[in-house]
Amino acid sequence: MSQREGNLEDDAQADTPISLLPHLEAKIRQTHSLAHLLSKYAEQLLEEYVQHQGDPFGLPGFSPPRLPVAGLSAPAAGHTGLSLPERLRLDAAALEALPALLDVVRRRQAELNPRAPRLLRCLEDAALQARALGAALDTVLAALGAAAPGPRPPPPAAAAAANSAAGVFSAKVLGLHVCSLYGEWVSRTEGDLGQLVPGGPA
Amino acid sequence: MPAGRPGPVAPSARRLPPLPLVLLLCVLGAPRGGSGAHTAVISPQDPTLLIGSSLQATCSVHGDPPGATAEGLYWTLNGRRLPPELSHLLNTSTLALALANLNGSRQQSGDNLVCHARDGSILAGSCLYVGLPPEKPFNISCWSRNMKDLTCRWTPGAHGETFLHTNYSLKYKLRWYGQDNTCEEYHTVGPHSCHIPKDLALFTPYEIWVEATNRLGSARSDVLTLDVLDVVTTDPPPDVHVSRVGGLEDQLSVRWVSPPALKDFLFQAKYQIRYRVEDSVDWKVVDDVSNQTSCRLAGLKPGTVYFVQVRCNPFGIYGSKKAGIWSEWSHPTAASTPRSERPGPGGGACEPRGGEPSSGPVRRELKQFLGWLKKHAYCSNLSFRLYDQWRAWMQKSHKTRNQDEGILPSGRRGAARGPAR
Repeated sequence: MSQREGNLEDDAQADTPISLLPHLEAKIRQTHSLAHLLSKYAEQLLEEYVQHQGDPFGLPGFSPPRLPVAGLSAPAAGHTGLSLPERLRLDAAALEALPALLDVVRRRQAELNPRAPRLLRCLEDAALQARALGAALDTVLAALGAAAPGPRPPPPAAAAAANSAAGVFSAKVLGLHVCSLYGEWVSRTEGDLGQLVPGGPA
Repeated sequence: MPAGRPGPVAPSARRLPPLPLVLLLCVLGAPRGGSGAHTAVISPQDPTLLIGSSLQATCSVHGDPPGATAEGLYWTLNGRRLPPELSHLLNTSTLALALANLNGSRQQSGDNLVCHARDGSILAGSCLYVGLPPEKPFNISCWSRNMKDLTCRWTPGAHGETFLHTNYSLKYKLRWYGQDNTCEEYHTVGPHSCHIPKDLALFTPYEIWVEATNRLGSARSDVLTLDVLDVVTTDPPPDVHVSRVGGLEDQLSVRWVSPPALKDFLFQAKYQIRYRVEDSVDWKVVDDVSNQTSCRLAGLKPGTVYFVQVRCNPFGIYGSKKAGIWSEWSHPTAASTPRSERPGPGGGACEPRGGEPSSGPVRRELKQFLGWLKKHAYCSNLSFRLYDQWRAWMQKSHKTRNQDEGILPSGRRGAARGPAR
């Protein structure tokens, strides 16, 4: 753990009134538990999603091109090498971007799979869950004094339409990426918060 | 609520996806060669085809990385590699595919036709929609609950199997004027149903029809014309009470209340009662219960639990001449008929076993005989009590067997039961 990470909890203890420390601890545990729960839901979402897209989605070894998604990338390879506050801030930023992306996927799937209510509900729930986890993480960051200075840049807003239409296959692949990203970031958040949980891994 | 696609779509026509999705994709930028990103384009994109038709498709490789050719490319459809003889090189950068006699799409989101590089990586994809145009929906039936709403059901044409998502839209309008309206609450009583909750006119006919639409076309049902008052149903009668009729062992009295929502209009309402023995699945129906709110069931078995239900048909409401629609049955109400008189001490009350004479007519005849004896003979000690003691003595030999079988045939003690709730 970097010196900066080691100071994160010390700073929190120094700045936080004694009476609030148990509450902060409880909040961290609660948020960590939520992230753990959502990791499981994210796996279910992915399974539900691939089931409705048809083969080869869901087949072992299916590996479509990993196209970048606006406003969100997968956790970088060097993510674990960053300081804990920075990792948590990245987690929070990703969780803020995910709801809009999941909603886009849901609306597209409502056209492609209108008779898949469970899938549509899973996507809707995932957007709400990401928002809830993000809000909880923001609270933890603020309590720790580790929130990013100034407001976070908003996720990319809708702009003028592009000149090309996306085909259905591309839409299916994009939805797969978004669902995968949701799982990756929720899992990453769980791991990062785990380092804050008292008694958790250093 | 399913979002339906509009009418027939030409094979090469494409709809713009929603705005935010377009944004997501337009910032993807040009595919990056060497990164595994799409570097080819399949044409046509997302075609719609009839079952049994053919498809000619191409996979054209972009010039990135430089020198990329179509050599070694191959196709898969829904994850299965297509035989090489179905493909051929059109030119150095284009692989063509010919599919014939297509089957219906395996999933409603479209069959996945994918162009792969030699190493198996995905270069491009296109979704095929293979199916049938919808057939005419038919058999529309509608009913109104208490004149407040209208629910309609229909049967999809050709059993609904078109292999494509088919949207059904229930439309309605007042017969001689007014605009077309579209029902909005679907699947209320099954997959092909819709509910119109309010703002319905009475005493004037509606025209109702169903439109079925998918990527290959549309079809419209015949028009059903009806007046809401002719298709009224109501709630089951509430407060159904079933009680004994004094000591009469073969009768039960059934009372109920008119369904409150229409109680001021049910002058000609009809009711039906059905009842069954507790352990039976066979209902007996009493059909000729006209505009009454009570009925006496007769010819029942003594000492038997009966389940009773009542339903209502608001026939003739507001002068309607149509048959009306029966409500659902009320919740079952149970009651038991009185048992036959018990034998004396030492015996349980049993219904006669097979082979023994029925107690009913025998006891009646015996009663008459004892009455005659008392009048004409000096047998003042004779009484029903003596007869019952004799019966108990006769049944002593059956007592053990009854105990082994547990519950007595009537299953109950001799005390009279009040009406069930």
